[in-house]
Amino acid sequence: MEYVATIGIEIHCELKTNTKMFSGAPCSFGRKANTCTNEIDLGEPGTMPCVNMEAVAKAIEACTALHLTIDPLVKFDRKNYYYSDLPKGFQITQQFHPIGRDGYIMIHTSEGEKKIRINRIHMEEDTAKQFHLTSKTLLDYNRAGTPLIEIVSEPDMKNGEEAQAYVEALRQTLLYLGVSDVKMEEGSMRCDVNISIAPVGSNTLGTKNEIKNINSISNVGKAIEYEIKRQKEILEEGGVIHQETRRFDDKTGETILMRRKEGNVDYKFFPEPNIFPIRLDENWIKDIQANMKELPEERKERYAKEYGLSDHDINILIGNKEMSEFFEEVMKSTKDAKNVCNWLLSDVSGWLNKHGETITTTKLEPQNLAKLIAMIDDGKISTKQAKEIVDDLMEGKDPEVVVKEKGLEQVSDTGLIESLVQKVLDENPQAIEDFKAGKDRAVGFLVGQVMKASKGQANPGMVNEILRNAIKERI
Amino acid sequence: MIQEMAKDVVNAKERCMDAYEKAVTLQEKLNDAITLIDPSEQLETLPEGGLFHGVPIALKDNVNTKGILTTAGSRILSNYVPVYDAEIVTKLKKEGAVIIAKASMDELAMGGTNLTCFTGPSLNPWDTNRMTGGSSGGSAAMVASGVVPMAIGSDTGDSIRKPASFCGIVGVKPTYGRISRYGIIPYASSLDHVGYFTRSIEDACISLQALAGRDDRDMTSSFKEVPDYLGLLNSDMNGKKIAIFGNVQDALTNPETKEMFAKLMHALEERGAKVDVFYFSEELMKAMLPTYYLIANCEATSNHSNLDGIRFGVREKGDSMEEIMINSRTKGFGPLIRKRFVIGSYGLFEENQDKLFRKAQKVRRLIVNELNKCLGEYDCLIAPASNDIAPLLNDTSRDQLSDGYLIVENHMVIGNFSGYPSMTVPMGFEEGCPIGVNLTCKAFDEVTMFNIGKAIEEITGYKDLTAEVK
Repeated sequence: MEYVATIGIEIHCELKTNTKMFSGAPCSFGRKANTCTNEIDLGEPGTMPCVNMEAVAKAIEACTALHLTIDPLVKFDRKNYYYSDLPKGFQITQQFHPIGRDGYIMIHTSEGEKKIRINRIHMEEDTAKQFHLTSKTLLDYNRAGTPLIEIVSEPDMKNGEEAQAYVEALRQTLLYLGVSDVKMEEGSMRCDVNISIAPVGSNTLGTKNEIKNINSISNVGKAIEYEIKRQKEILEEGGVIHQETRRFDDKTGETILMRRKEGNVDYKFFPEPNIFPIRLDENWIKDIQANMKELPEERKERYAKEYGLSDHDINILIGNKEMSEFFEEVMKSTKDAKNVCNWLLSDVSGWLNKHGETITTTKLEPQNLAKLIAMIDDGKISTKQAKEIVDDLMEGKDPEVVVKEKGLEQVSDTGLIESLVQKVLDENPQAIEDFKAGKDRAVGFLVGQVMKASKGQANPGMVNEILRNAIKERI
Repeated sequence: MIQEMAKDVVNAKERCMDAYEKAVTLQEKLNDAITLIDPSEQLETLPEGGLFHGVPIALKDNVNTKGILTTAGSRILSNYVPVYDAEIVTKLKKEGAVIIAKASMDELAMGGTNLTCFTGPSLNPWDTNRMTGGSSGGSAAMVASGVVPMAIGSDTGDSIRKPASFCGIVGVKPTYGRISRYGIIPYASSLDHVGYFTRSIEDACISLQALAGRDDRDMTSSFKEVPDYLGLLNSDMNGKKIAIFGNVQDALTNPETKEMFAKLMHALEERGAKVDVFYFSEELMKAMLPTYYLIANCEATSNHSNLDGIRFGVREKGDSMEEIMINSRTKGFGPLIRKRFVIGSYGLFEENQDKLFRKAQKVRRLIVNELNKCLGEYDCLIAPASNDIAPLLNDTSRDQLSDGYLIVENHMVIGNFSGYPSMTVPMGFEEGCPIGVNLTCKAFDEVTMFNIGKAIEEITGYKDLTAEVK
């Protein structure tokens, strides 16, 4: 039997703010345990929450970029449960009135473009981090209280590829906005997948399973494909799918049972009494929206219009925000977008991969890359010569200086090339005969000889032109 | 009294040491403090001037004091030393106040008897066989016995205003948001108020002057300017419109209290006030206590979820984090608290919220609407704070479903539902024990409340009353 999967995704994203969602303690990653906390984050008796408006502004940016309708009356609720990583015994979240509702994002897959609807975005606070050792549990409260947005999709995805594209599109959008680091491996972006399968044509959905702890975008796809297969096998063997929470093990590529769900947990949600509803000023919202950073889709359009690059090149460039920003820096000193893009995506990227660096960590200067490309375009050096000095370029050296030092400068002196050509023609009468007989490849041979005579430094274009004219004169 | 003390800079040290010694002596008789604080250290670093310069004060033990034990009257917090000061502690210290005690209270401020503190009951200075009332009973006893001229309390149902009545002093619960709650161990956030006890209206004015004002760490605190309460104090009753709380007056069963109250109303009329009787819907009156219990218990069960023995407080042993939490909470709370948590939790269950928690909030709004009707016409709603003087310590005879109990003993919760300013002032004595009268005014109209209070103080002559503890 053929089955169809129904997939919805919940994404938790840490907002990049100076301080926490409800306290003045600094937000940090990778700092010494329990150094970025205060009495509020620790849930000390008597503490009260104070809403971080920077976080609200960032949530508004995310809502706007993802086309959600913003609720200008901000309200918070308590989600009550006991857990050792939850200092207050409740989490402040937005259960009843999320900051944004009903948006969407466009995704691109092998089947083309698709709209994935977003049900809601709400703000909440993160929990502490736990480290379970054999005999004890360690708690780091640095993360406790970090602002989060939870982005809840509609169940609009059908397979791993779509889910992966959705997460990637969200990641890109949030990254371009600058509202989050969106690093799945560091946990600043966390992804929970809800998935069920049902026979094609069936009107009812299958039993939902939740997959947690997926730590990379490619694993989103892998986890879903595994889960579809697993559920299909159960159904085909006549089994029953239970409602479960599972986790993805990236070593085995399998999903593993964490717990079975016996009905829903009652979190006893109720409005947070210590935060009165906050009426957002319309102009404040408009101001935030007017000053948002360029989104990936907007940048794509601009690149096509301004630089005339192909869709393929644009997608690769935009996929790497830092590379795209470097590209624009280079473009300040040149007009040759096509070649800049080619150099960045091939030689430069290749070098970075080989050396385990990124475009932001290298010493490569945008002006130097522009200079190199100009030198090729002006015939000062050949592409082959240019490739020989990539190492120097990547170490921050000026290509003009390097070329001089290495004596690589291309010979474009007409007189000098002329004399070399005549010399080669004199030495190769047979080649001239071949050319006469219509063998065009004879030209290639002769060009090669001239280049060899110039020790590779002659401008190949000029050699070609001068050589052809010279042969014609001898016939 | 506070003003005179603050001006008398020379005697600040002696005054505070005397107060501390008196507190130590009375502790044996009244058991009204959980921690007594030798003020020597504070006296060395006293700032210049201030409304409370060198004035000894006491804090209810749910007010966080950095480095000083703060238990909220509960075993689970019996080792809790806060890492930060409550906003009001910072404010009072800036004004030169000297903290000499952390006062006894009902466990986690839940209760009206002050019998449930983990250190035992605090006793009424007028008659040590009687209760102080609660939950701010220790604070009330310390003011009534003359140890300190001002003590901080908190009021979620009537936890300042009831003990003030039983101890013969002024008990003020200002408007919600007037005093910051940051650093006060909560009971029920939407009903909790910080307030205080004094022995005169003047002292009440000065105290609010020092305590009121916006605090950015408490988002519910008000930006409204703090008026000069003492400067505006004026006991002229001409043109004042006073509404007697009809339902409460009718439900009084104690003839002495009835007569005392009637006399007071007559005296206010003679001073030029217009006094009428205002009736609330009787159904809403009877719904007040259950409404209060539901909202308060629901919020409390959530507020106190942080008391799990993990980060602070008394931690019991257990094989897992979950077991540690369960054991710490089971042993850390008294039976009354556990009962309230169960009720609160039940009220918050998703399937119960509509018929319990949310319904209670709707009823709360209806009650406040009635109060708004009353205060639309009148400057003040007035009623005896209680039917009787403080109950005996062994008194368990109260019928919790009688009109007397439902209405007379619980009407002051209307001040918590609405958040409006409310205060109890001494009204008279029965069997040598005091009983108070309660006034509730419009939001942020503490000035009118103090003015009427001042007139009452002048009528009764009960100013700076101090109990001789036997």
